[in-house]
Amino acid sequence: MSTSDTRILSRQRAVANAGGAAISTRSRAMVMEARHLLFTVSPGAAWIIVFLVLPSVYLMAVAFMSNGPYGLPQMPLSVDSFKQLSGFGFLGWSPGNLYTLLRSLWQTFLSTVLVVIVAYPIAYYITTCREKWRPIMLLAVVVPSWTNQVIRTFGWMNLLAPDTPLSDLASALGLISPNMGLYPSNFAVTLGLVYNFLPFMVLPLYAAFEKLDTAQVEAAQDLYASPLKAFWHAVFPQTLPGLLAGVVLVAIPAFGMYVIPELLGGGKGMMLGNLVATQFAGGSNWPLGAAGAILMLIATFIGLFAMRRIGKRLGGGEEVVI
Amino acid sequence: MTEMTTSAHSGVENSLHSGAGSGSLGNEAGSKALDAAHEASRENASRRQASSIQMRGLHKRFGKDTVALNGVDLDIEAGEFFTLLGPSGCGKTTMLRILAGLEEADDGRLTIGGKDVTEVPPHHRSVNTVFQSYALFPHLSVRENLAFGLKMRGMPQAQREQKVAEIAGFIHLGDLIDRRIDQLSGGQKQRIALARALVCEPDVLLLDEPLSALDAGLRSQLQVELLRVQKRLGMTFVFVTHDQDEAMVMSDRIAVLNGGNIQQVGAPRDVYERPANAFVARFMGHDNLYRITARQGGRLTTEIGELEVEEQEIEEGNQHATQGELVLIRPETLDLKPGRVEGVNHLPGRITERLYRGSHAEFRIEIGSVVLQATVNNRGRHLPEVGDEVTVVVAAEDLVTLSE
Amino acid sequence: MNKRNFKRGLKGFWWLTIVFLYLPLAVVMLFSFNAANSAAHFTGFSLRWYIKLFGNQEIISAIGNTLVLAIVSSVIALVIGCLIGYGMYRHRHRKLGWLIILIYLPIVLPDIVFGISEMAFFVQIHQLTGFLKPGLGTMIIAHVTFEIPFVALIVYSRFVGLDPSLFEAAKDLYATPFKRVMHFMLPTIKPALISAFFLSFTLSVDDFVISFFTSGPESATLPIYIWSAIKKGISPEINAIATLMIGGVALAAVMSLLLNRRRAT
Repeated sequence: MSTSDTRILSRQRAVANAGGAAISTRSRAMVMEARHLLFTVSPGAAWIIVFLVLPSVYLMAVAFMSNGPYGLPQMPLSVDSFKQLSGFGFLGWSPGNLYTLLRSLWQTFLSTVLVVIVAYPIAYYITTCREKWRPIMLLAVVVPSWTNQVIRTFGWMNLLAPDTPLSDLASALGLISPNMGLYPSNFAVTLGLVYNFLPFMVLPLYAAFEKLDTAQVEAAQDLYASPLKAFWHAVFPQTLPGLLAGVVLVAIPAFGMYVIPELLGGGKGMMLGNLVATQFAGGSNWPLGAAGAILMLIATFIGLFAMRRIGKRLGGGEEVVI
Repeated sequence: MTEMTTSAHSGVENSLHSGAGSGSLGNEAGSKALDAAHEASRENASRRQASSIQMRGLHKRFGKDTVALNGVDLDIEAGEFFTLLGPSGCGKTTMLRILAGLEEADDGRLTIGGKDVTEVPPHHRSVNTVFQSYALFPHLSVRENLAFGLKMRGMPQAQREQKVAEIAGFIHLGDLIDRRIDQLSGGQKQRIALARALVCEPDVLLLDEPLSALDAGLRSQLQVELLRVQKRLGMTFVFVTHDQDEAMVMSDRIAVLNGGNIQQVGAPRDVYERPANAFVARFMGHDNLYRITARQGGRLTTEIGELEVEEQEIEEGNQHATQGELVLIRPETLDLKPGRVEGVNHLPGRITERLYRGSHAEFRIEIGSVVLQATVNNRGRHLPEVGDEVTVVVAAEDLVTLSE
Repeated sequence: MNKRNFKRGLKGFWWLTIVFLYLPLAVVMLFSFNAANSAAHFTGFSLRWYIKLFGNQEIISAIGNTLVLAIVSSVIALVIGCLIGYGMYRHRHRKLGWLIILIYLPIVLPDIVFGISEMAFFVQIHQLTGFLKPGLGTMIIAHVTFEIPFVALIVYSRFVGLDPSLFEAAKDLYATPFKRVMHFMLPTIKPALISAFFLSFTLSVDDFVISFFTSGPESATLPIYIWSAIKKGISPEINAIATLMIGGVALAAVMSLLLNRRRAT
């Protein structure tokens, strides 16, 4: 401690001698602050830049290269990958990739709609329950999503396999042929997606319901009399921001889903994520896979942009997401 | 109980006298210890280990435009209860933070106990602060909070425990000592924040609006306790507040600040009865300020009427210019006589409002086109009613002239 | 439609949804104790699949990989994320938009894009330099990347919740910069650090997609093992490992919840 004291004394003297104390104090403090910022933030920032930003940039570059041996990218630059994505291959136009794209969009749309239909009453029901039960009920909705996605999907494989009660019921109703399972199928993929993303919708909707201005609802009941009309004019508009946030949280990751269609969809249930993964894991065509990844990135940034807009409408509540 | 308190208190005081204060705590060595011994012998003259403060030309800006301190010179005497008073944004908190070392002045020098500490970081200053929000560490118990400063200075545990026990007795903490911070009420937190700062036996104790978060009853109780502590320890206290009543009750001297400048420094009576300018007068709660339109010796023509003031009062004020000059009439110095009475400093008026407050009554009186407020002690005599014609009698020696 | 029936209907729907949410997990757990080799018929209680599990060298090494990956990546992410969290707090009055974007990037990027871009990058770097051979090392790098934001945000929000005067009180009470870290900051944010560690740990154990693409032939984790086992065909053995994992995650969740509650009271 004595050394630091002498250091301070000598610094005082130096500053006093220099005379320009005002400027030196101010700029020294600024330099110290900047150094502090650098020290605390740069390891993490550098980590994310080197191990995520650079790879993503590289991936985007790959999309504009040509396909080489073993599927690895090579020069010259080309947009073949995007042509292939839209179906123009070496053998002329074939709809395979385009079907996969359309299927991804359709599955995303369908599962998002279904998730809304299930989550809306659930979120509302939780808000009508006693306050001490609400966190526990929310937890009950969220807990299954803490387990591994592969395991959860595997659970559905068990349930939908041939010879299980659900499959037997379906074949008794004539929905599937006897001795078949409910998976692999597009239906199973939709089910898996709804199961997977339900909590993502319940949470923002619950937040919206909890903030609901009940005075408005009562006024609406007073004015419109019919409960349906009261809901449509007073309740629904108030929950819309939460609903939209939920849609973004569900639709974006659903569009890029890999595990669920891979396990529950089979060859005819492939989505964009599987198309992309196959190009890399199978080592067949990196540029094509990268082009697919760019589509997902575009979808993500549209979603984030929408989220920001919603956040602003909610009054800067962007951190609602987490 | 009283005896116990006294003995605990003398313990604290003894340790203060024994020179264990700023310098020789823990393992500080060499020049520092010598410094402390030197200082102790010098301060034996005043029989207290308290430090004076000198500020010379302190400047502080925030960003480009906000001037928090605009070249402040101020001397605070050793052992004084000194209050920095002003509205929010006047620079009082900045001044306190510069004293604590939490903010560095852009320009100027600061001396505490004769040592230049302008560049000394807070953890090397023998100055402690009682924060407005108390700032008690939530992860520590009361006992650990009290010992924090001593531990950081490297005092051995046994000695630390003894000091903490002494201060706990002195501030009457009783069984609070083993509580967790979140189990305390506001008033309890306040006392522990005080004890935590005092146990370090600083040269100067800084208090940043320490009572502002408390309700009125507790507040006045703690005002008394704070005063008692300061008088017993004889420590220099620098107290920041925006409440002029609190400032008057507590302080030996008050500095009124506005816009980064000191407006007036003086004892509470000076500041209240002889405000240096209109800002100080208004801040101290005065409303009866009237423009002077002309003057001739002790005779003033004001917007409220002709007034005579004592000659010496004139000499203190500005002799010739009447531009921007005001006269202050304090409500409690006035006498009300029923009806119309002629005389020097007799102003004719009519009561427009009466607020009966038990011990006294407040009146609003229309005199011509201006309004005057008067406070009259209730001595059981007749109190005028609204609408009554009255004559307001002003004593020449109670009038103060000041500039805008 | 009367109000009471409406409420009753909602309640029914709630329980139906709960069944929907827990049924797949319950089936996995139930059939892990099945005596028969069937996913459709429960014939009797048995621990044979669990016993078989621990004779499987691949599974043992997958468990080992999972734990090493989770612990090492969480510790690194804790240190780096804690620094960023504090930096974000301390400099919150500056314009740090670029940093916020950087921190949210790992959270918002679709898993598959995350995993594939890292894989492509690592493969290229490996071909060029010989470093970053796909394996546990690359997986640790990838996991640290997605754990950093969570640690940073948890630490940041803990600091934001503190009275700013506390930092000044520590200075005022003679703590040197080093002592401020040791005696004030670290003890104060300790609960946040513990919960951040548990969160990182569970995120790491739970992750499949990113691990899958950054792993090498010898660094299979449990989810990757389960994945390849499923690809070979459903077997009750998978149920047993899955049940162990569900149990582990539940335990971690309960622990972090309890720690949180203790902090709250």
